[in-house]
Amino acid sequence: MALARTYSVALIGITGHVVEVEADIANGLPAMIMVGLPDTALREARDRIRAAIVNSGEEWPQRKITVGLSPASLPKRGSWFDLAIAIGILAAAGQVPRAALDGVMFFGELGLDGRLRPVRGVLPAVAAAVERGFRRVIVAEANAAEAALVPDVRVVAASTLAAALDWLCGTPGLRGGRPAAECKGSQDVLGEILPDGPVTATTPQTPDLAELLGQSLARRGAEVCAAGGHHLSLLGPPGAGKTMLAERIPTILPRLDTAAALEVTSIHSVAGTLPEQVPLLTEPPFLAPHHTATKAAIVGGGSGIIRPGSASLAHRGVLFLDEAPEFARDVLDALRQPLEAGEVVVARSGVTARFPARFTLILAANPCPCARAAGPAEGCSCSPTMRRRYLGRISGPLLDRVDVKIELEPVGRTELLNDRNFAESSRTVALRVLQARERAAHRLRGTPWRLNAEVPGSELRRTWPPAPGALRVVERSLERGQISARGVVKVIRVAWTVADLAGRPRPTRDDCDMALGLWLGVRR
Amino acid sequence: MSPASVAAELSERTLARAGLTYLAEPGDPALGALLEICTPEEILAAIKADMLPGTGPGCGDSPASRAALGRALGRWRIRLPKLPSDADIAGACRGGTRLVCPEHPDWPGGLDQLGPGQPYALWLRGPADLCGSSRRAVSVVGSRAATGYGAHVAGEIAADLAERGWTIVSGGAYGIDAAAHRGALATQGITIAVLACGVDFPYPAGHAELFADIAAQGLVISEWPPGRRPARMRFLVRNRVIAALSCGTVIVEAGERSGALNTARHAAELGKPLMAVPGPVTSAQSAGCHRLIREWGASCVTRAADIIDLLSPLSATDAQAPAGPAPAGPAPAGGGGPATSPGPGPTSPAWDPALPYDDLDADTARVLDAFPARGGAGTSTLAVDAGVDLDTVLRCIGVLAGYGFIERGVDGWRLRRPG
Repeated sequence: MALARTYSVALIGITGHVVEVEADIANGLPAMIMVGLPDTALREARDRIRAAIVNSGEEWPQRKITVGLSPASLPKRGSWFDLAIAIGILAAAGQVPRAALDGVMFFGELGLDGRLRPVRGVLPAVAAAVERGFRRVIVAEANAAEAALVPDVRVVAASTLAAALDWLCGTPGLRGGRPAAECKGSQDVLGEILPDGPVTATTPQTPDLAELLGQSLARRGAEVCAAGGHHLSLLGPPGAGKTMLAERIPTILPRLDTAAALEVTSIHSVAGTLPEQVPLLTEPPFLAPHHTATKAAIVGGGSGIIRPGSASLAHRGVLFLDEAPEFARDVLDALRQPLEAGEVVVARSGVTARFPARFTLILAANPCPCARAAGPAEGCSCSPTMRRRYLGRISGPLLDRVDVKIELEPVGRTELLNDRNFAESSRTVALRVLQARERAAHRLRGTPWRLNAEVPGSELRRTWPPAPGALRVVERSLERGQISARGVVKVIRVAWTVADLAGRPRPTRDDCDMALGLWLGVRR
Repeated sequence: MSPASVAAELSERTLARAGLTYLAEPGDPALGALLEICTPEEILAAIKADMLPGTGPGCGDSPASRAALGRALGRWRIRLPKLPSDADIAGACRGGTRLVCPEHPDWPGGLDQLGPGQPYALWLRGPADLCGSSRRAVSVVGSRAATGYGAHVAGEIAADLAERGWTIVSGGAYGIDAAAHRGALATQGITIAVLACGVDFPYPAGHAELFADIAAQGLVISEWPPGRRPARMRFLVRNRVIAALSCGTVIVEAGERSGALNTARHAAELGKPLMAVPGPVTSAQSAGCHRLIREWGASCVTRAADIIDLLSPLSATDAQAPAGPAPAGPAPAGGGGPATSPGPGPTSPAWDPALPYDDLDADTARVLDAFPARGGAGTSTLAVDAGVDLDTVLRCIGVLAGYGFIERGVDGWRLRRPG
C-alpha cells in the first residue's frame, strides 16, 4: 500500500483546524487528483508541487496520485498545503521514511524551483498544531521567528524542499543547499523581545503627548481613555489637534502583555501585515483607516480567504476614524457589533470566522462639513441644520458606546504659554495609565472584564456605586436636563477611571465632578 | 425625675402659656390683645380669680371693650375645671413632647409676623430644631381629594426641595399634604406637620404611621394641647401658622372652595410669596390654583427650582431691575423672606438666583472668579489665574457646569449668561 499521511493547518479567522493530507499512489494512468474542498489556488498546487519536486532532484512518481485533504467539509484555501502535499507524495513513493513524519506539521508554499516560501498566519497555525499534540513544525525560514514564539514546539526552518527532505531523512547537506536548522525555543525568543519582569510602560517614542501644547483638557481626556479603555469622540475645527491627539494615545497605552501580544500578532500574521524582522508586536496597534474604507476593510471579510479588518487589527490598540461623518453609514454601523461583543464574526457560506476586536475607538469630526474653523469671521457659512445633519451621520447607537467626548478649540497665545506649566510627557502619563489599569484589573478580578469601559452600566450601579453623596452635582445636572440618565452612567464609569488614576479606592465627589466636566465639555 | 421636679424646671411663664393653650382657643383675638399688654402669668391668674386683669392703658379702657373682655373671661373659665395641674403639664412635656414659647430661642421668628394672632405656645413632637428648620421652609399644601397628578407633583417638588435643604411644612391631611410630607421623608429631609389637634392625636387616623415617621425625623407641631380633638374651625385657624412658619406657600391642587385657599390667603396677608402649581384647565381640582394665579397674582411654579428661584436669599431679581414676574398683588416683595444679600462679587454677572453659590468650595469659587467676563478661557489659563493645579480646574469645571455657572462655547468654557 503506497499511502502516506502528513499534517497541516487550515485557518478560519485566527482559529486553526488541523488538516490531514493523505497521498495515495496507485497503478493507473499518470495523473494527480486532489479531493477535499480545495480552492483554485490549491488546485494550482498540482503543477507547482510537481515542478518543485522535479527541480529539487527528486523523482515524480509516474503513476496515479490521489491527494485527499480532510476533513473534507472544511474549505481549504491558498498555497498553505504545498509542503505537506509534496512531502506526502514523496513519502508515499517511499522516498521519505514514513516514521519521520510522526508528529510533524508542515507549513509553506513551494516555488517552482523548490524554494520554500513563507505563508501568512503561521503563529495561530502553530499554536493550533501544538494544541493538538504536534511538537515539531517545518516552516519557511522567513516564518521561523514567528513560529518560535509558540511554547513547547521545535521549529525547523528550511529554505528549500530539499533541505526539509534532508532533515526528515536525517541526512543534512546530502541534497545540497543550506541545511535546515532548528530555532531557539519560545522562552529565549520571548525573553529577547520582552523585557524581564512585569510589563512596563512603553518606551518614549518620537511623538509625545507633551507636544499637544495648549490642549490640557484634551490631554487629560486622552489619559482617561487610555486608562479606562473608554471610547473617545473628538470634535474640533481643522488644525486644533484631533489627529495629533489620536496618534499620541498609543504612546500612553501600556505595552501588551505576552498573551495579548501573541493574540495581536496572530491577527496581524493572518492579515499579512506583520512587519518584517518583527516577529512579535508588543506595542498597542494604531489603525487609522481612510474614510473611503469599505465595510469588509473595517470589520473583515473578503471572498476566498477571510481577512481581518481594521477593527480586528486594532485589537488591544486604537482604531482611529478620522473625519468620522465621512465614513459610509453602514461601515460605521458595522462597528456596533464588535464594540458590543469584542469580536467580529464574519459569516460566509460554509464557514464563520471570528476575529477578536477589542479596541479603543476614537472618532474625530469637524463641527461642520465645510471644515473651516467655526465662527462668523472664519468664513464658514454652514447653516445649523447642515452642521447638525453632518454630525448626525454618526449614528446614535455608535455614539452611545463613547464614554468621553472632547471638543478641541484653536489655541490662543496665553493658553499656550500657561500650558507649559502642565504639559507632561507621554512617559509620565503612561506610568499613571499603567497603574490605573492595574488597579482596575485588581478590582475587576473574578469578573469577565478588565477595563472600566467594559463594565456594563447595570453592573456598575449595582456593584460599584461611587461614594455616598459623590453624585450631588451630577444629580443637579440631571435635574437641569444637561445630562441624561445614560449620561450619568457614563459619568460614573469615567469617574471610576479618574479615581483609578488618582489612586483612590472609590470615586469621590471630586472624581465625579471631573468626570461630569469631561462629559459636559461639548457644545450641544 | 418626678413630674413635680420637671414642673419646677419649667419656668412659671412657660407653665402659664401651657395653661392658656388648654383654656383658650388659639387665635382668640381677645387673648392675643391681652398678651400684648399683660404677662401670661397675670392672665392665667386673672382667669383663675375671675377678675379682669390689670387696668393699664388699652386694657378695657372703654366700657365696650371691658364688656368684651368680660365675655372672653367667661369663655375661658368654662374649661378651668379641665385645666391640668402644673405637674400634669410637666408630665405631658415628657415622652417626646416639648413645649416652645415665644420667649424661647427655639421660637421661629416667622410667627411674630402674626402679631396678636401668634400662637400662645406650640406643642412639639420630634427631634428637629423648629427655629432653624423654619428659616428655609416652604409650605406645600393642597386639596385632600388630590388627583394622581397633584400627588405626584407635590411629592416630587417636596423631595427636590428637601434634598436641597428646604423644610417642607404642611398640614398632615390626606392628598397633597401627605404627598408633600412623604416626598420630604423619602429624601431624608425635614418636614413639619402642623396639626389642628393635639400632637398625640393622630388625625386623620390613617396617618398615624405617617405622623410617627415625621416625628422621628422632623416635627409634628400644634397650638392645641395634647389630647385635644380636631374641629372644623380649628383647621382654618391652624392654616395661619402654616403660612407664617414658611418663607413661601405653594398650592399644588385646590378646588374652588378648598381649605388650601385659606392658607394661601394667610400667606398673601403676611406678604409671603404665594405660588401655585397649574393643572389641566379642565380639572376642577386645579380650579383654585388657577384662580390664585389669575386673581391673587400667585406665581406659577412647576418644579422645585422655580420655587427656590422665588425664595432664595440670593434672589438678585428683587434688587435688580428689571425684575422678572415677582410675586405681585397682595404679596408685596421682600415681606417675609430672609434678608436679600448682594450678589457673589462685584465683577460677576447677574447670577441665576437658583444657583447655589453658597455651595461652592473655596477652590471652585476661585476658579469661577478666574473666568473672564466675556469669551472663553482655556483650562491651563484658568489654572494659572486661579492658582490651582490642572486637576482641580477640571474638577471645578464639572461643578460649575453641573450647577450651570458656565457653559461650553466655541472658544472653550465661558460664563453662562442667565436668560
